[in-house]
Amino acid sequence: MLYLVSRKVLLALFTVLVVIILSGFLIHVVPGDPVTTMMARSVTASPEAIAEIRQRLGLDLPVWRQVGLYVWRVFQGDLGTTVRGNEPVLTLLMQRLPNTFMLAVAGLVVALLIGIPLGFLAAVNRGRLADTAVMVVAVFGVSVPTFWLGLIMIQVFAVKLGLLPVAGSGWRNIILPALTLGLTHCALVARMTRSALVEVLGEDYIRTARARGLREHQVLLVHALRPALISIVTVVGLLFAYLLGGQVIVENVFSWNGIGRLAVQAMLERDYPMIQGFIVVFATSVVVVSTLIDVLYSFLDPRTRMQ
Amino acid sequence: MISRKRTHRLKALVIALSFGNASTMVAANAVELTVARAVDADSLDAQKVAITQSLQVTNLIFDTLLTMDKDGSIHPGLASDWRVADDGKTYTFTIRDGIKCHDGSIFDSKAARESLVRALDPATLNPNRSAWGPITGSAVEGNILTVSLSERYDPFAAFLTSIQAAFLCPSSFAGKEFKPIGTGPFKFVSWTRNDRIQLEANADYKNANPLIENPGKPHIDKLTFKVIPEATARMAALRSGEADMVEPSLEEAADLKIDRNFKLYTAELTGQQMLVAFTWKIGPLDNLEIRKAIGMALNREAYASIAFADLVRTANCTVAPNLFSADQALCATWGVNYDPEEAKAILSSAGYTPDDPLKVKLLVSKLAGWDEMHQIMQQDLAAVGVQAEIETRELAAFYDYMKEVNERTDGEPAVWTLGMSGVDPDYLYFLWRRPGASNMGLNAELDAMLEEQRKLSGDARAAKIHDIEKYLLTNAYAIPLLSPGWGWLMASTSRVENFKMGFMVSLLFNDVTVSE
Repeated sequence: MLYLVSRKVLLALFTVLVVIILSGFLIHVVPGDPVTTMMARSVTASPEAIAEIRQRLGLDLPVWRQVGLYVWRVFQGDLGTTVRGNEPVLTLLMQRLPNTFMLAVAGLVVALLIGIPLGFLAAVNRGRLADTAVMVVAVFGVSVPTFWLGLIMIQVFAVKLGLLPVAGSGWRNIILPALTLGLTHCALVARMTRSALVEVLGEDYIRTARARGLREHQVLLVHALRPALISIVTVVGLLFAYLLGGQVIVENVFSWNGIGRLAVQAMLERDYPMIQGFIVVFATSVVVVSTLIDVLYSFLDPRTRMQ
Repeated sequence: MISRKRTHRLKALVIALSFGNASTMVAANAVELTVARAVDADSLDAQKVAITQSLQVTNLIFDTLLTMDKDGSIHPGLASDWRVADDGKTYTFTIRDGIKCHDGSIFDSKAARESLVRALDPATLNPNRSAWGPITGSAVEGNILTVSLSERYDPFAAFLTSIQAAFLCPSSFAGKEFKPIGTGPFKFVSWTRNDRIQLEANADYKNANPLIENPGKPHIDKLTFKVIPEATARMAALRSGEADMVEPSLEEAADLKIDRNFKLYTAELTGQQMLVAFTWKIGPLDNLEIRKAIGMALNREAYASIAFADLVRTANCTVAPNLFSADQALCATWGVNYDPEEAKAILSSAGYTPDDPLKVKLLVSKLAGWDEMHQIMQQDLAAVGVQAEIETRELAAFYDYMKEVNERTDGEPAVWTLGMSGVDPDYLYFLWRRPGASNMGLNAELDAMLEEQRKLSGDARAAKIHDIEKYLLTNAYAIPLLSPGWGWLMASTSRVENFKMGFMVSLLFNDVTVSE
C-alpha cells in the first residue's frame, strides 16, 4: 500500500512540474505583449516608460532564462505579481481557493444527495415508470443551462421571495450557487448510479444473497451498493475536478469570489502572471484531488492494490 | 427550561443573523449605501492604477491638489492657492493648513512632496507617470510646495485635478505593504478582492471641490462597493434592496429611466470621446477622399438613438464636450457630415460600389452599446460600397493589437473605433504625437502643433488646440462619433438623493442622502 501511495505521489509531483514549466512558456507563445497590455488603458504611457517596465519585469531576458527563473520562483512559493494592481498572485489565489473548494464541495454534496437516491430508485425500479421519470429528470438536469438556472434561482429566491441574497461569498450566499451546481450535475450522478447498480444487481452473488433469504434492503445496501460505489467514486472524482475549474459561470452569476472568476477576469485583461498562477494552482489542486481519489479507489477495490 | 424572554432573544438573534449583516446590527443608525459594480478595483494604490473602476474608489480615499468646476475652471483642492512663474516652468502650491490623513497624521507640504516623488519614481510603475509632465524637481519651504519643470507644460494644472493625480499620505507607503491612507471624504475599512470594498465617512473632511455642496463629512456613514459581474444579477440586487445603487446595463437603463422607483444618472462631465480612426498608412485609406467618404457614411444620430438608447450625444470634436477649448459648432465646420449619397459617389469614382466593395476590417473593442453601433456602422458602410468585417477584441487586447496593426504599411486596411478620456485636451498629444499611444502618430507638422499647445495658455492654447482639431478633422484622420461611451450610467433606488458624477466618471457621494 505504501508503495502504491508513494508511486501516486511521485507521479503527481512530476505532473505538477510539467505544468509549471508549460505555464512558464505561456507568456511567450500567446500573441501580444504583457507590458503594452498593462498600459493599455493608460493612453499617457510613453514608449520609454513601457521599455523601463519591460526591463524591470525581466521581459528583456532570453526565453529559457525567463522560464527557468519562473520555475525556480514557483518552487520558492513566488508566482509573481499581477499585471493589474501589482499584487502577489499566490496571495490572491490562496484567498479564493477556499471559496472555490467550498462551492465545489457544496455543489458536489447537493449533486450526490439528489443523484444517488434518484439513481438508486431508477435502478431498483428498472423499466418501470419511476425509472423513466428519473431519467427524464436526469436529461432535464443535463440540458438546463447553468446560467439560466442560476438567474431563475435569483429571481425566485432573492427577488420574489426575499429569502436569500443575490451576491456575495458568505455562508448564506453559498446556498443558491450550490443548488444550481448540484441540480445541473445530479443528473450525471443519477445516471452513473443507475447503470452501476443495474450491472451489480445482475451479478451472481446478488442472486445468491437473495437465495440465502436476505432481506431486499440488506441485499441492496450491503451487497450491491459498495461495489457500485467504485464507479460512483470515479465519477465523483472527475466531477469534483470539473467543478473546481468549471464553476466559472456560477461564480459569475452569484458573484461568488472563487478562483474561476479571478481567472476569467485575468484572461480578459491578459494578466499573464495571474493566468500562469491560476494554471499552476488549479492543476495542482486537480492533481491532489485525483491522487486522493486514486488512493480511496484502491481502498474500496482491493483488486486495484493487487495490480 | 428556556424562559419565554430568552426564547424571544434567541429568535431575534436568529432573525438578525439570517436576514441582516453584522454592520446593520452594530450601528443601527448609521446610514449605509451599497453600490454594485461589474468589476472590482485592481488596486487601491492610486499611483499604480489606470482603470476607471479603481480610480473611482481611490478618488474617494485620496484628494487632489487642485479641483475642476463644470466649466473647466481650476479651483483649490489640497492646495489653497497656486502660482505659475512667468516662464511656466515653476509651480508653487500653498498646502492648506490642518488637513488630516485618515490615520490622524498631518498632510502638509512635506507629505505632498513625498507623494509627488513616489508618483514619479520609476519603481512605482505608475501607468500615468507621463501625464505628470516634464517635472525635474520639487522642494518644500513652510507650507509651500514648489515643483520645477524642464519646459513649459500648461496642462499640468488641469492634470492635478484629475482622478489620476491623487496625493497619498506618506504613511500609506511607509511600510512594506501599501495601506490606502489618504485625506479624502471616505476612509478605507476593508477590501475582500473581487467581493467588496468597505469605506466609512471621514469625520474630519473639509471639502474644496466646487462640484460638491456639502462642506464637511459625507452624509452617509458607510459606503460599500460590491462586485456583481452579471448585469441581470446586479439589477436583481437593486430590485431586492441588496444594493442601493448599481451600474446598470444599457438595456436596463432605458427601463429604469421611466420607472418611478428608480433613478438613472448619466454623467455629463466624463471627458470621454468616441472616435473613428484609420490605418492611414495602408492604401486606399491613405487617400483623404476615401477616409472622408467613410466618415460621410456614418450615421451618428442612429448610433446614439438606437445603439445607446439616446443616453449619449453626438459630438463633433476630437476633444470631449466640457473640456477646455471644446467648441462643437466650430468642429462641425471642419469635420465630415453624414451624407451617404456623396460618400457613394466618391467611392464609386474610386471604383468601389456595393457590388464590388472596398474591403476593410472594422477593428473594435467590446463595450456595452458599441457592439450594436458597429453592426449599424457595418450596414451604413455596406450601403455606400464598403464591406467591413467586424473584429472584436477585449479592451486590453484591442490596444495591443492596434499598436501592432498601426505599424503596418500594407495588408488589409482597417477602420478603428476607440475612446479617449481625460480632463484636458492634452490627451490628443498622447494619441497623435509620434509614435503615439498605439502608434497613431501622424507627422512632423502635427507633432509641432501638439508640442506648441503645451507651451501656451488661455486663448492662445485654445486656438492652437483648434488648429490641431482642424487638421485632424479636415484631413479625416479622425471622425468624432459620440460622447460619452463607457461607464457613464448609474442607477439607484428612489431613496438615494443628490448623487453626482464628476470628471472621468468619478463618483461623488459627499452630498448623498438616503431617505427612509
